[in-house]
Amino acid sequence: MDFFNIFIRAAFIENLVLAYFLGMCSYLAVSKSVKTAFGLGLAVIFVLAITMPINWVISNKILSENGMLGIDLTFLRFILFIAVIASMVQLVEMIIEKVSPALYNSLGIFLPLITVNCAILGGSLFMVARDYNFSDSVAFGLGGGFGWFLAIIAIAAIREKIRYSDVPPALRGLGMAFILTGLMGIAFMSLMGIDPAALGK
Amino acid sequence: MGLLDFVKKIEPDKKKSPFLHTLFDGFFTFLYSPDTVTKGGVHIRDGMDLKRTMVVVVLAMQLCYVFGSFNIGHQHFAATGQYTAFLDGFHLKLIYGLIQLIPIFIVAHVVGLGIEFWYAAKKGHAIEEGFLVSGALIPLIMPPDIPLLWLAFAVAFGVIIGKEAFGGTGMNILNVALLARVFIFFAYPTTISGDEVWVAGLAESGDTLATTYNWFHTGLFNGIFESLGWDTFQAGMPVVDGYSGATPLALAFKEGWGAVTEQYSTTQMFWGAIPGSIGETCKPFILIGAGILIATGIASWRIMLSMLIGAVACAWLFNMWGVTPFMEVPWLYQFYMGSFFFAMAFMATDPVTAASTTTGKWIYGFLIGFVGMIIRVINPAYPEGWMLAILFMNVFAPLIDHYVIESNMGRRAKRNKITGVAVPVTPVAEAVAEH
Repeated sequence: MDFFNIFIRAAFIENLVLAYFLGMCSYLAVSKSVKTAFGLGLAVIFVLAITMPINWVISNKILSENGMLGIDLTFLRFILFIAVIASMVQLVEMIIEKVSPALYNSLGIFLPLITVNCAILGGSLFMVARDYNFSDSVAFGLGGGFGWFLAIIAIAAIREKIRYSDVPPALRGLGMAFILTGLMGIAFMSLMGIDPAALGK
Repeated sequence: MGLLDFVKKIEPDKKKSPFLHTLFDGFFTFLYSPDTVTKGGVHIRDGMDLKRTMVVVVLAMQLCYVFGSFNIGHQHFAATGQYTAFLDGFHLKLIYGLIQLIPIFIVAHVVGLGIEFWYAAKKGHAIEEGFLVSGALIPLIMPPDIPLLWLAFAVAFGVIIGKEAFGGTGMNILNVALLARVFIFFAYPTTISGDEVWVAGLAESGDTLATTYNWFHTGLFNGIFESLGWDTFQAGMPVVDGYSGATPLALAFKEGWGAVTEQYSTTQMFWGAIPGSIGETCKPFILIGAGILIATGIASWRIMLSMLIGAVACAWLFNMWGVTPFMEVPWLYQFYMGSFFFAMAFMATDPVTAASTTTGKWIYGFLIGFVGMIIRVINPAYPEGWMLAILFMNVFAPLIDHYVIESNMGRRAKRNKITGVAVPVTPVAEAVAEH
């Protein structure tokens, strides 16, 4: 039940993009067509779901005082998290290039840039701050990634729809994307305040 | 033809005063069909243009206006225990409601249409009629005691950010009226929610709530009523003991259906003599409006039906689950409370912000019903869910359409291959196939 709660929370109630505004750079840059947004969204789900448990193991079993080294190495947390994320992204990149060269080409530079997607590092840091256990961190990784995926394909579909709208010149392009993100944030506030844990009895 | 000649005579020059001309054009096309015709290309000429479509929607909600203005007065007097029978004190209730409603109506229209006119003049095109419907909807979804300044801010936000930034009528992604309502809800959360906003004209006096009136009531209408020998407005009447002003939804959330039936009967809830937003309470009149919209083909019956199915399904699942008192409210009674029918008839069916494919409409409506019921029942932060559920699904409507179209294309491509019809291979199709 906890697994499910954390998944729902991360995907809808505390959506990484629309509630915390994390991972905005690739969210804004790759959301021009649904197809590429879909691919990038899947890649983010994958990277989040893999790095989160690995980072949990590193943070709790190696770096912490009660870990296997027995010394407090938490100051290494950031650098190790980023190293893990970067190597995972490399792995994803190689897999995608091998399995689907077409998707690899359409994602272009934004695939390696997942490394610096703040949603991913942010996810790992939330995990530490909220004292998640191992299965919680898997759920949070999957849910956070799914929320990010939903947000980017939704805005991509909207941006495809408004491509021919008579938007005031000053707002064309990114300006509109920012307004849209804000409005989507309002819509996602509808789920804020739900506490799944209070219901599961 | 006298009026037409007169109108033609006062037409301002387009070059010299573009704003006046835009204004003139807006009112002229309201009265007459314009004689300008399009040149070249294929065009459909039909008397049922955008302006007439909008007017039908506005007409469909007139009954809600009539009932709403009377109900404001009824709730006001019911709170103090005067004229508790619905039709008692008819003149007082009606006048009280109108004094409350008309300023809201005027402010919503002046602010919204002002912005609309200004944008039209600025862009140099004719005034778009979109705000007629939004402007008529906004007063109906406001609580009767709404401060007019907030209302003005909210309408400005809805029209500028929600519509003009996207390029005007027909381009908006989120429903303008709901955006104005949600602005008020999130910008002034402490004063706009709770039990006391749903009944107008009560203020603290001593340690209890009592009726207050302004010059219109005591100065103008009391004089008229006195001269006719009718009852007059009595300031300072205290509310009845144990009065809370809570809507059925608030009661049901805290204590379940039993607490609701102690205060309100089901007939009363069905006919709408309960506190709530101005136009949302009277179910039969809303359903008449919905019938008009369906009969004229303006609103989609698919969205209404699927929204109903979604809400019933979700309420029924909650009945099965049943861990909070609200979840145990029998699913049928969920529809006696709150604004489900108003949202279904006038909000979800907005053709601009809803999904536009047939399959998409079923999915869109179903999800609104489902998500709205979830927000209403299990989210303690919000008393009612439809406004937020519709906004939430407005965000996803383009995505639903996108995938419905994709799957149609995929199915047709497949069918053509099976029956042996050669699909012409273009470079674009090849590139798509590779993905």
